[in-house]
Parts: sequence; structure tokens; C-alpha cells
Amino acid sequence: MNHPHVVAQQLSKSFGKHEVLREVTAEVAPGDIVGVLGKNGAGKTTLLELMLGFTPATSGAIQIFGQDSFKMTNDSKSRVGFVPQQDELINQLTAHDQLRVIGSFYRNWDSVFIEKLSSAWEIDLKERIRNMSVGQRQKLSILLSLGHHPDLLVLDEPVASLDPVARRQFLEQIIEISADGRRAVVFSSHIVSDIERLANKIWILKDQRLFWSGEIDSLKESVVRIHIRGKAPLPKDLGIPNAYSFSLDGAYAVAVVRDWTPASHSRLVNGVDADVEVQSLTLEEIFLEMHR
Amino acid sequence: MFTLNPHSGVPIYRQLLDQVRRMVAGGQLAVGTELPSIRDLAVKHAVNPMTVSKAYSMLEAEGLLERHRGKPMTVAGRSRIQSLPVKRFQQLDPHINDLILAAHQLQLSQAEVIKELKSKWESMDESSTRRRAAAK
Repeated sequence: MNHPHVVAQQLSKSFGKHEVLREVTAEVAPGDIVGVLGKNGAGKTTLLELMLGFTPATSGAIQIFGQDSFKMTNDSKSRVGFVPQQDELINQLTAHDQLRVIGSFYRNWDSVFIEKLSSAWEIDLKERIRNMSVGQRQKLSILLSLGHHPDLLVLDEPVASLDPVARRQFLEQIIEISADGRRAVVFSSHIVSDIERLANKIWILKDQRLFWSGEIDSLKESVVRIHIRGKAPLPKDLGIPNAYSFSLDGAYAVAVVRDWTPASHSRLVNGVDADVEVQSLTLEEIFLEMHR
Repeated sequence: MFTLNPHSGVPIYRQLLDQVRRMVAGGQLAVGTELPSIRDLAVKHAVNPMTVSKAYSMLEAEGLLERHRGKPMTVAGRSRIQSLPVKRFQQLDPHINDLILAAHQLQLSQAEVIKELKSKWESMDESSTRRRAAAK
């Protein structure tokens, strides 16, 4: 019962000669909230589309609930929810009818739940979609992905158009979904602070590869900024391995390092006659440092 | 009850850990006080429930919190804290391992490290006694 919901192994995708994703190996376990970060063009949407079985892998494998994602059974498909980056709403319909259309595809559509949520999120179900603001449309798109209580929820930039109040409501709903530990959520977002709150696992895509993946706590504990302040000018080679950046100015040096451990700390402290201060970084700062 | 800052470099679970430890040591969380459920705390602070669960589990392993089936976790009584030496050493082990590793890398002997440990321990106890006396 505790098999991962998603398993990707050396997953690669190319469109003709254009390589979009390279050798991604990662897993999503029940209870996980995975935050996917990456610059535009790094491969995030492609990874999510592969996860949903919208497109086949070029090489490697990706399995959802133990099945090849491109060959998922209808039963498995009904356990997945998706919010695309560009909404796929039908402009001529009212919100209510759009919900009914999608709801009709699922045996377990929970209309009571959807009604409660649409009221809490201030979505007027009688409104016609073509008259809705972009924020309202996005809220409706999210709603459409939740009614069947999916075991795997995949969201591609789900809150880009939401105001802070709506965003907070969305975050709270994701937490509610995640609280039972049996469902999983994978979402990509440029709003790094949202990912920082919600995700327990982070995937950072860079240059079409999975540049970093793991627990957010490990990431924050291992990528830190070190300030070194000496009484006299510091030696050029301070022996700081694995730095994303380093600058030295007389008696002051600052570096952003990866793989930092308490042992690294003692080694540095004992190797240089200076005050060593370790500064933690926000997820956004870590992301920026990785892209210097 | 708690202040959690998801954007601080300090992981959220550790912020919660530190706050509960401080409040129990300082008496702001009295024995028997009920703690918010994992879900409630997670929703209120808009953070991942696993991070709250991680902190709660670690605090339970330390003997600071007690789990009750179907009911909220509570601050453990003194006797419980004292009765879990095995679990308390589990918490200490990673620090001990790091100390041994660092000592090896710095080519310090076991005897030297133990001597330094004793001396630092005594001086910390001494200064905290002095601080408490000065505060009275």
C-alpha cells in the first residue's frame, strides 16, 4: 500500500532533435507535496505532461500507480487531477455547467464538496466563463481538478493569476488534501514562497536536467552563505569546496556553498584564523545562487 | 501559540522544535497542555503537515510530548521525560557522530576530545548557574 505514486527512471524527452528533458530520475510517494522549480524552458511543463501520460517518453520510463503513464488504465486516469498552465474552459458555458460536464466523467464526483469550495472561493456558478476574470477562471480550473478527490494532483503554475487571498485559500486546500498522507501533489510555480511553505520535496530543473532533488529541509541545511571575517587579509585559497559563488575582499570573504555539514564548519573554523558566520538562505535565494 | 516563518533559512520543523523545547523548559507550555493537531497547525500556518508531524515525532522521541490515541498530543510529565534514556540518546547520536568525525578529520585523539568535552561542559554549567544567580 505504500508504493510510490510516481516513479521516473532516466526519463528523457525530445521533440525531433530538440532535447527537452534529460535523464530525470525521481519519485513521488503518497503524502508528498513536490514543488517543481525552474526557469522558463527548463522542462517543467514537459515533465508534468509526461507524468500525466499526455505524451510518451523518448527514452527511460515513467510510471503512475505502477503503470506506464502513457498507457494508464481508465481507472488510474480517474485517480489523477490536473490543472494546466493555460486553462481549458469552455467559454460558452456557465461555471456550473462546466463543472457538470467534467463531473460527469467521474464516478465519485463530489458535488457537495465542490459547491462548498466554490462558495468559499467566491466563484459565482451562474456566471458565464467568457465573462470571468482571469483569476476566477484559474480558480475554476483548480476546482475542476479537485471534485473527484484524486490521489495524484498535478498543477502547472496554478496560482499565477490569483490574488493573495485566493492564493492562501488554495494553499490551505492543498494542505487539507495532503493531511491524510495518502494523496500526493506535484506543482510547479514561480512563486517560490508558496513552494517553500508547502513542499516537503523540491525538484529543481535546470538545463533540461533534474539539477537538484530531495527534501526541502536538506536543501536549506546544505546550501548556506558563509561570511568569513579575519583580523588580517585572508589567504586566497581558503579551502572552501563546492561553492556556487565566492568573493574575497581583504579580510572579508563570502561564499555560498553546497553540501554544508557541521563537519565542514569545524574544518573551516580550524583552518582559518577568522570569525565564521553561517547564514541560512531562503528557497528563492538558493534558486538564484544555483543560476549565477 | 507558535510563530513559524517558512521563508527563514531555518527549516520549519526545526523552528517548531526549538519553540516547543523553549516553551516547555520555560514553563509556558505546562505539563498536560494539549497541542494543536497536525492538520490544524498546518492549515493555520499554511505549511506542509509532514513538517509539523516531523517536529511532533521528534519531540515525542525526546520525551517532551506524549501521544494519545484519538486525542491531541500533550506536554509530557516529568517522569516520562526521565524514563526514556534510549530515545534521548537517539536524539544525541547524530551530534556524537559528527563530533567523532570532526575529531578524526582534525586528528584529535579520543582522550583529548573527552578532556575538552568535560572542561566545556563544566564551564557551561558554571556560567548558567552564575546567570541564574544573577537573575534572582
